[in-house]
Order: sequence, then structure tokens, then C-alpha cells
Amino acid sequence: MNKENLAISISGMSKWYDDFKVLTDIDLSVTFGERIVICGPSGSGKSTLIRCLNHLEEHQKGSIVVDGIELYPGMKNPELVRRTVGMVFQSFNLFPHLTILENCILPQRRALKRSKEQAREVAMKFLERVKIPEQADKYPRQLSGGQQQRVAIARALCMEPKIMLFDEPTSALDPEMVSEVLDTMIELALSGITMLCVTHEMGFARKVADRVIFMDTGQIIESNAPETFFSQPKHPRAKEFLGQIL
Amino acid sequence: MFDFRFYEIWRSQEFVQALIDGALTSFWLSSIGGCLGFCLGLMLAISQEKSVFWGIRYTARSYIELIRNTPFIVQLFFVAFGLPLLMDYQWSFYASALLAITLNFSAYFAEIVRSGIDSIDKGQIEASKALCLTKRETLMDIVLPQALVKVYPSLVSQFIFLFLTTGLVSEISIEDLTWAGRFISDRNFRDFEVFIVLTVMYMALAWLFKLLLQLLKRYAFPWAEAEI
Ligand SMILES: Nc1ncnc2c1ncn2[C@@H]1O[C@H](COP(=O)(O)OP(=O)(O)OP(=O)(O)O)[C@@H](O)[C@H]1O
Ligand SMILES: [Mg+2]
Repeated sequence: MNKENLAISISGMSKWYDDFKVLTDIDLSVTFGERIVICGPSGSGKSTLIRCLNHLEEHQKGSIVVDGIELYPGMKNPELVRRTVGMVFQSFNLFPHLTILENCILPQRRALKRSKEQAREVAMKFLERVKIPEQADKYPRQLSGGQQQRVAIARALCMEPKIMLFDEPTSALDPEMVSEVLDTMIELALSGITMLCVTHEMGFARKVADRVIFMDTGQIIESNAPETFFSQPKHPRAKEFLGQIL
Repeated sequence: MFDFRFYEIWRSQEFVQALIDGALTSFWLSSIGGCLGFCLGLMLAISQEKSVFWGIRYTARSYIELIRNTPFIVQLFFVAFGLPLLMDYQWSFYASALLAITLNFSAYFAEIVRSGIDSIDKGQIEASKALCLTKRETLMDIVLPQALVKVYPSLVSQFIFLFLTTGLVSEISIEDLTWAGRFISDRNFRDFEVFIVLTVMYMALAWLFKLLLQLLKRYAFPWAEAEI
């Protein structure tokens, strides 16, 4: 496949924290529009992997190319790649001192140099898309967890990324709020954006994923369409894992 | 029982005027010194970011250590008598007092603001990075506002404490509240009454500062007061 058309291309990538090898020889190609769910036991390196994709973490070996931009340790302008990659965190990480609207406006103003009016318009568009325009003038702590996470998604979308990364976006939520966030993510997935999502929500994976990637001890040990992965996991670790969460 | 004679203070127009002028001088010295000290402290706190050139970082660190580990009176004398000799230029004692207060306050404020910056959740910084904010924008727009609110109570109590130490400027004949006290007791010999009046007036000023700073917080950080 032509590398130019790949959203993400990782080959032979390894990463260490000091002496501890977190990721080992990762190979992964993601085409534009592809939706990938990453799962695996705790500590298997899922977060680390997706954090390498917007250079929140540096890898030490192999190569990562995201939207045609090569990432390397100590790179001077990680903003280039961060501009095309949006990220949603487990703990939302909204800015508590800014209103919902300001949370969405500030990064556009600073990073994209948009005018106040334009940024506001874009922000409202995405707040409507995640169905909370009426909360625009509240502060994050005045919202429920599910609402906060939807704001975080809107805030990332305001930067109009080509690729969205999610790191366990529903793990910190009360059970009754999980579905509102998943619904938002499903709607987003169906819009055709490239998505990499670390999650254990297997219903979500079945519904939208083109591929499920299973990680264990820093390696990708299985990568398959969801039906295949859920019905006939090849690797014993994957079987064990599915047995635990299903 | 001791025979209190506060009348010995009130009866003299001159004494009352000295108290009022002294209180005003103390108030303004600490207010202006506090503002300037806060600005300098902010810069010192920011200078300790890892991304700042190491020379500046260590200079700021050393300065803070120097100030926090020497008595205010020594700093005051150095600014009032030493520095003019070194610079070969004599400025007024009021300027010296203000400068000494500013330099002194700044180191304490810097330390508190720094602890606030360090206490901000790393998730905030990661989110800022992921949203393409520069280091500078992250600090100024995201970290600092949150840090200042977090340490605001500590800053206020530190300021009040420092305000109460500024009486030492009377040593270089600044006519502040402490100076006024000495001025009066040297003339009417009612030391105990003067001492009580000073105590009450210092308390009133401290209380006034607290009130003003509370109002300032409401104005500067409206989000911190928003209802849940
Ligand atoms: N900053 C760090 N320094 C050292 N070790 C780290 C650091 N961050 C993560 N690790 C280690 O790297 C390994 C992988 O962590 P990672 O967070 O990527 O796992 P994960 O698959 O996301 O797990 P979880 O499901 O618990 O989120 C873990 O063993 C973890 O202890
Ligand atoms: Mg994780």
C-alpha cells in the first residue's frame, strides 16, 4: 500500500521507560477512515502506544509516520502532528477555570489563530453535535462526567483533526453515563473520521470497529475484524482476556 | 491594678495625627510593596520552569534562598545603606523601604506560586499539548490561573504575616505605625497604652487587607466562586 494514503504507519517501533521495555516491535498501518479498537490487559502498553502517536511520549526505535509526518525523539515541532490528531483522555482534562465555550474557543484562538467570532461559531457547531449547546456558559465542574467527556470530544473536534485518539474515554464514568458518550463516539465514527480507541466496551467495538487490536506485554499479538476476534480469538492470552471481560 | 490612661494619647492632636499618618504609611508601603513583590515573585516562580535557560533558573533559585534565609532587617540595611554606597547614588529612605519590602515579599510569594504551579494536574498540561498550545500559552493560560487560585489563601496569609514585619522600616526612620508608637511613648511615657493602641491598629489593618484581598479574588477569579 502507498504510504502517502496511510493515516498512521508504524514499523518496528519500540519504547522504553528507562530500562523497562513498554512497547516491543510494533507494526501497525491505519488507513484514513479506518476505526480501530485497541484492547488488552492493564499495563500492556495501550495508552503508551496511542500517546506515541501525538508525541506525548517519545519512542526510541523504529518509525512512526502520522498523516505524512515522521515522528522522532526530540522533534522540534510536535505541533505539526498534534494539529491533525485529536485526543480524548480518560479523565476528561477540561480546563476548570474556563467555561465550556471558552474551553472550545481557546485552543482554536491560540493554535489555529482563528478570530473570536469564527472560533465561537465552530465551538457552538461541535457543542451542538455532542448535544450540549445549552451548557456552553457553565464551568466544567457544573457538568456531569458524561457531559464533561462529550465537551472534551467537542473541544478536540474544534481543531478539525483528521485522526482521533481515545484513551479509555468511558472508564472514569458512572455506568449510567457511559452510553451517552458511546453514542457520541458512534456518531463520530459513522461520520468517517479515522479513530483509534482504547476501550473495553466490546459492544462499541462490534458496532463500529473495522479492526480490533489486542495487546499484551507491549506487543500487538492479535489484529482482526471484530466478528473474528470475538468469536475465534487465536491467541490464548486473548481468549483469557475475553473470558474475563465478556 | 494598672491605671490605663488612653487619654494621654487622645488629648494630643499631634499624637493622633502621627498614628493616622503612620497607619497610612504602613498601609501604602505594604500595598505597593505587595503588588510589586507579587509581580517580581511571579517572574521568579516562572523563571523556575524547566524550559527556562539554566543560568536564569539558578539565579532565581539562589535569590529566593538568599532572601528567605536572611533577616529582613539585614536586607533593609543593605538596601538603605550598602546599596547606595555600591551604586554611588543616595536615594530616599522611603524608596529604600519600598525596595526592601518588594525584594523581601517577592521571594516568599515566588515560593508559594511555585508550589501552586507544581501542584497542577499533569493531565491539564497533556491536554494543552494535545491541543497544540505552546509551553508559554500552557503556562499563562492554563496553569498559572489555576495555580494562583489554589494558593490564594496561602498568599494572603503570607502577605499579612509579612505586613506585620514591616514595622522594622521604622529603624531607618520611616514614619510608619511602629515609628508613630515610639514617637508617642517617648513623649508621654505611656508605653503600655501605646502598645495596646498599636496592636489594635495593626489588627485593623490586617483585617482590612484580608477584606480587600477577598474582594480582589472575587473580581480576578470569578470562576472560582461559581456555584456548582
Ligand atoms: N511514565 C512512566 N514511567 C515508567 N513506567 C511507565 C510510565 N507510564 C507507564 N509505565 C508503565 O508502562 C506499562 C504500560 O503502561 P500503559 O499505561 O501504556 O498501559 P495500559 O495498557 O494503558 O494499561 P491500563 O489499562 O492500566 O491503562 C505499565 O507497566 C506501566 O507501569
Ligand atoms: Mg491506559
